[in-house]
Amino acid sequence: MAATQPTNTRLKVEFAVSLVLLAVVAALPAVVTNAYWQGVIIVSMYFAMLSIAWNLLAGDTGQFSLAPATFGMLGAYTTGLLSYYYGTGAAIGVPAAVIVSGGIGLLLGRIVLRLRGPYLALTTLSFAEIMRLVISNSIDFTRGDLGLNVPGIFQGRLPYYYLFVIVLLATQIGLFYLLRSRAGLFLRAIRDDEIAAASRGVRIVYWKTFAFTLSAAISGLAGALYGHFAQFVSPELGLISQTGIVISMVVIGGLGTMVGPLAGALLVYVASEFLRDSGNWQLVIFSLLVIVFARFFRQGLWGILLSAFNRKPARPAAPATATE
Amino acid sequence: MPCLAIKNVSKAFGGLKAIDNASFSIEAGELVGLIGPNGSGKTTLLNILSGHLSCDSGSVELDGKPITGLRPEVLARHGVLRMFQLTRSFPRMSAFDNLMVTGCALGLSQSDAEKRAMKLLEDLSLTRIMGLDAGQLSGGQMKLLEFGSCFMVPPRIALLDEPFAAVHPTLKEIMSGFIRSRHAEGQTFIVVSHDMPVVVELCPRSVCMNAGRVIADETTRKVLSDKVVIEAYLGGAAA
Repeated sequence: MAATQPTNTRLKVEFAVSLVLLAVVAALPAVVTNAYWQGVIIVSMYFAMLSIAWNLLAGDTGQFSLAPATFGMLGAYTTGLLSYYYGTGAAIGVPAAVIVSGGIGLLLGRIVLRLRGPYLALTTLSFAEIMRLVISNSIDFTRGDLGLNVPGIFQGRLPYYYLFVIVLLATQIGLFYLLRSRAGLFLRAIRDDEIAAASRGVRIVYWKTFAFTLSAAISGLAGALYGHFAQFVSPELGLISQTGIVISMVVIGGLGTMVGPLAGALLVYVASEFLRDSGNWQLVIFSLLVIVFARFFRQGLWGILLSAFNRKPARPAAPATATE
Repeated sequence: MPCLAIKNVSKAFGGLKAIDNASFSIEAGELVGLIGPNGSGKTTLLNILSGHLSCDSGSVELDGKPITGLRPEVLARHGVLRMFQLTRSFPRMSAFDNLMVTGCALGLSQSDAEKRAMKLLEDLSLTRIMGLDAGQLSGGQMKLLEFGSCFMVPPRIALLDEPFAAVHPTLKEIMSGFIRSRHAEGQTFIVVSHDMPVVVELCPRSVCMNAGRVIADETTRKVLSDKVVIEAYLGGAAA
């Protein structure tokens, strides 16, 4: 129906652009034949999934969690531990990772339900650090900082590459349909004004828990796939700096949009590869970028692109109407 | 059985008795003005009725069933819809989507909600701006939008907190016309307002509060000529 135009058009444009972006990524191996750089793009796709998951929570539902990388780590460890103890492969490990991280996300969601703003951020931050410390100190169970070897799924880089492309594609399609449904309305309503949403009958508890669970499950999926790709998982996956990278990707790309997290993750991660030689300077550069974007370009790169597009000179229609 | 019964409700904030043993009831189809000087407890009472505050003692019944202490979203599903004194909308969602949220949350299918939203936007003369984000609307339009979202699904009772405050006369006329026509169809309302001419014109009956107590509950004309009410508004010396 035409009436739904405004929001749905916005969403459709973002979805379409994100599909184009994925198509470009899918075509890249034709040019990028170097296995190292293919690996870099695969890792950037892992970050893209974490960014998309975090954006669902922070950008679409307004819940500023500081634990996206933690759920990636939990997913990676789920499949890692399963294969270490029971010799299972990805076919069992990956679905299990989705369930376990989603389940933990659900529990965390229920616990932090009534917290907002800085209180929510701090609680999720302590959850993140506790999880990482538990994993790195449970040496008998997880081998601690030594990490775990995880069996690979494929030989060579390209199959992994396309596995990530397909999973990203499926995630974007799923989120597109979610966000244009009533669920999307409720999540955005909670983001904009929780009290108003409640007084209009939106089930706050249910939808916030839903967003937490889904976001954690997507992160867990990303982590498990990453574990099988890297064939190694360690507590470093859950470092707070990893979460910082995810946040900077989303903020630079465009918070609360479908293009932002994807574009932000690809650009920031690839750029960080170029800055790798500069050591810790890359962190300083990205932190500065986040501050600049948060202060001056709230809509991120996607917002800058949109406003540049909208500022195109209008057709010289004025004289024509004047003669009528 | 009254539509809404408020029985001996009290609420204190520290040493301040915001609501002091307030009781009154409202029959289905009534349009009642809730008036009183600033700080008399009107908004606190609406907060209790809509589940945003709990009361210390007393009870509230909707159609004979106790609703005291239910959460706002549950009350909204029971048909207690409320408009806030300080406008609350979803600023980064279109005006149209603002209405869709209420419609879908209250159980309408998306296509039904779309139809009703279009009708409401037309009734409230907001069709022109339906694609704009609520945050881009004028204060009056935003108020009108919040007002409208109370009626996406005809509520059991609509609680309107200062709907006319700081609103352009044209928009005020749209709102009061809407209230009149819905009232004629049997809609039940509580309207909190300081705008006495509108209260006199709209509300056959008024309840006046002062310092947390109900001091008058009569036809609006009688309430406004009540000595105690005049005293409450103008202070003791004026009487």
